[in-house]
Amino acid sequence: MKETWRLIDMRIEDAPTQMAIDEAIAMARLKEGTPNTVRLYRWNPSAVSIGYFQSIEKEVNLPACEKYGVDVTRRITGGGAVYHDYDGEITYSLVAPEADPKMPADILESYKLICGAIVNGLAELGVDAEFKPVNDIVAGGKKISGNAQTRRHGVILQHGTILVDSDIRRMFQVLRVSDAKISDKLIQAVEERVTNLRHYLGRQVDFDEARSALIKGFEDTFDVALEPGELTGAETRLVKQLREKYRSREWVFQR
Amino acid sequence: MKRAEYKVPGGKLLAAELGVEGGRFAGVKITGDFFMHPEAAIIELEKALNNTPVEDLENNVNRFFQDNDVTLFGVEAGDFVKVVRLALES
Repeated sequence: MKETWRLIDMRIEDAPTQMAIDEAIAMARLKEGTPNTVRLYRWNPSAVSIGYFQSIEKEVNLPACEKYGVDVTRRITGGGAVYHDYDGEITYSLVAPEADPKMPADILESYKLICGAIVNGLAELGVDAEFKPVNDIVAGGKKISGNAQTRRHGVILQHGTILVDSDIRRMFQVLRVSDAKISDKLIQAVEERVTNLRHYLGRQVDFDEARSALIKGFEDTFDVALEPGELTGAETRLVKQLREKYRSREWVFQR
Repeated sequence: MKRAEYKVPGGKLLAAELGVEGGRFAGVKITGDFFMHPEAAIIELEKALNNTPVEDLENNVNRFFQDNDVTLFGVEAGDFVKVVRLALES
């Protein structure tokens, strides 16, 4: 019989709650004996999440966020800034123990494997995507997904973004891109670096179609059945505590 | 305040912001889109540099990564030395 993992399917929450849920699942995994979990989710209102080490002032155009009603939070994972467009983006997260036989100990290998689930999901939609180290997935040479992993409490938490129909112009209104990063990639227009499913496929992809493809990608890659479930009581209590952190100025503006 | 950015070839972006008082680091802040586990180690790295002589930079960074169980991804220990040096020269 196939191993079963929990699927927490397409919850729509604000930025602090989404980040609190990911952290709560990671904290509870070994302590409470909860199952390995895959989440697919969307952010309402649209939000920017920045990596743990990033400078909020350098990465985020705060007046533009204010103007467009875009929320801002800081993740517990490193990596770059992401624009989570409510109307055009799906975020996934995966929590599994570092000691899980399916999880490589090597960090790059584990990115490759987990990103492989996204690549396989995108293939279901007809997208020829590939993992591009350090932590990106590209299609037609352009970024379609960014991913970030942390290891704590004995577990791997990886989350990432899949651009379905993100407003790429708005993305670059709310994010600032450093000169060093642009010059390194020898590209003048940052927009040329990023794509989404609608641009790539030349057709509208609705959330339900993308969701089904991603679920299949995870199931095939990890040889598991994803069974829809909910947060436990303990996780829900953690979420209530943790989301105050993700809302606090002290956390969000710490660097 | 001095500031510099350094994009690791094929890797991630690092930035350093710092002051120098009497030949010693003051207010070192390192930012970027790199990965470090555990994440909070960055605060310890900054502490390990503050109030130390600028000429001891390389030794102090190397000692920090030798003495602490820190995993880097997308950058290497030497890249922290490089970005802080660039900030000093700015």
